Amino acid sequence: MNEIGGTPLFFLEFGDIVVYFTPFTLTLFLLALVFTVFVLISRPERQIDIAFGADAFYAKVISLPELRFRRFMSIACGLACMGAMVTGDVFDFTLLVSLVGICNVGIVAAVKSRHVQNAAYQYGLVALAGTVPLFSAAAMVAATTGTLSMIELAKDAVAIPLAARALLVLGVMGEGMAPFYAAKAEMFRAPGAPYVIMCSLSSLLIFLRVAEVILLL
Amino acid sequence: MIAELLFAVFFGLLLLGIHRKVIARIQRRPGPPVWQEILHMLKFSFKTTWIPKTASAALFVGVVLVAIGIWSAALFVVISGGSLLVIFAIYMLHKIVEHGFGLSSGSPYGKFGGVRSVISAASEIPLLVSVAAIAIFTHSLLISDIVSYQEVHGPLLITIPLAAIAMYVVLISKMPFGPFSIVESKELVSGYKTEHFGVWRAGLEVCNGLKTYVLLLTFILVFIGSLPFWLTLLTMLILVITLSFVCALSPMLSPYDSVTVQTLLAGLMLVYVGVLGVMS
Amino acid sequence: MKKKNALALTLVAAGSGVAAMALSMASILPGWAYAAVLVLAFPLFVLGLGLYWMAREGEEDIPFLGY
Repeated sequence: MNEIGGTPLFFLEFGDIVVYFTPFTLTLFLLALVFTVFVLISRPERQIDIAFGADAFYAKVISLPELRFRRFMSIACGLACMGAMVTGDVFDFTLLVSLVGICNVGIVAAVKSRHVQNAAYQYGLVALAGTVPLFSAAAMVAATTGTLSMIELAKDAVAIPLAARALLVLGVMGEGMAPFYAAKAEMFRAPGAPYVIMCSLSSLLIFLRVAEVILLL
Repeated sequence: MIAELLFAVFFGLLLLGIHRKVIARIQRRPGPPVWQEILHMLKFSFKTTWIPKTASAALFVGVVLVAIGIWSAALFVVISGGSLLVIFAIYMLHKIVEHGFGLSSGSPYGKFGGVRSVISAASEIPLLVSVAAIAIFTHSLLISDIVSYQEVHGPLLITIPLAAIAMYVVLISKMPFGPFSIVESKELVSGYKTEHFGVWRAGLEVCNGLKTYVLLLTFILVFIGSLPFWLTLLTMLILVITLSFVCALSPMLSPYDSVTVQTLLAGLMLVYVGVLGVMS
Repeated sequence: MKKKNALALTLVAAGSGVAAMALSMASILPGWAYAAVLVLAFPLFVLGLGLYWMAREGEEDIPFLGY
């Protein structure tokens, strides 16, 4: 096996679906776990803003129902992220990545701000469109090689068409990587730090993991 | 490893102090003493501390722990010759730390610092490019393999100078007072670290010391190879002085310019590694 | 956090770090576990030490909004 992220430490087999931990994926998994725990235990901050034209400031307070929904979405995002970090199966990877995209929209969609909702809507459209290349990549890999296991695919004897890799990267880009990342920046103005951080964390983690997957395939 | 960890913190902070001193001398100011950053860390830890009323308490404190933790982990990975990809991951996740610092307090200045750190996401691409360029030559991303490759074939600095430049740009974008330091520029008071004062800031200084040491050590190991200990430290010092010259002589870019320049550089580097990949 | 708790945190973190070093020197604990203990203990040690010897805990305040 190609040891891009270091020597695999541990394999966890669910039938033919293998979850494996290398030092690289373990690091990413632990970080996703740590920030999911932060989402669980921390209250959102109250964002202070200056009221222009007056000598005053106001705090944006998140209501309890909004907090509950966003916390749920953030935890779901964290779980999907953890799954995408350690899975050893191309289809599971694409599935979890698309789940992360949906959760990211959910995290900010509950915010009552026109700018944030606009950004969430646009990002949602891109994420939706991104699932087409994402799943086509998995389909192409399965059709050409007959397997979806990354451990099998990493062997030199298996040739994966360049188009499949390109589609995979394109799909992941749609789910939140640069350059669509910049559109997400508007979403980060929303209050509720622990939840909003989950958006950017999931993007970065998926970017890192797809880099490994592409080097591995 | 405890000794290495403590040494890395203090030597990294000393390098940052030298950085400030050199910048000051280039700009014909007397500048602070070279150990100023170490004093800073100690000074902040003795100060009155609390968590702001508006902050998200667990995240406010937790992100300081994560900041120190990830860079200690990075140091151990570099020392043990682990995967370069892990260093790359930790470098990228430092962005989340900046974001967490900025947003968790509820301060408008911190928030803008955090948002700026998110929009300058292109600053990470050059690192990915240098990682990819190295992988083309060494066929491995383990730092130990890269070091032994260089013992046979000579330093990678000579083989792929442009990849070294890409990594050098990454170093510049993480040095304070550089052209890309928009996350902590002074129109935002202190950017993402505005509301982290007292003990929390002391923790952040520890993280900065470690980060500087780890990034410089990675650059040396990956592009020059394994050197005797004293020569490694000397090379780090020389690298910091060259970085200080860049930082002292270039103005801080506006946020949009900074992002544009970083994106252009990233694009150029991607083309370069594409060409390298086709040629090999 | 009370100073006594901060001191306890510092001592626990430092103690686990030193214990890990001793165990690793006696080659009971593998190197990666030693590193993992340090990665967990070092941040806690830094913050615990700072919280122990800081001047005092001030009154909570809202963030700085400019002059």
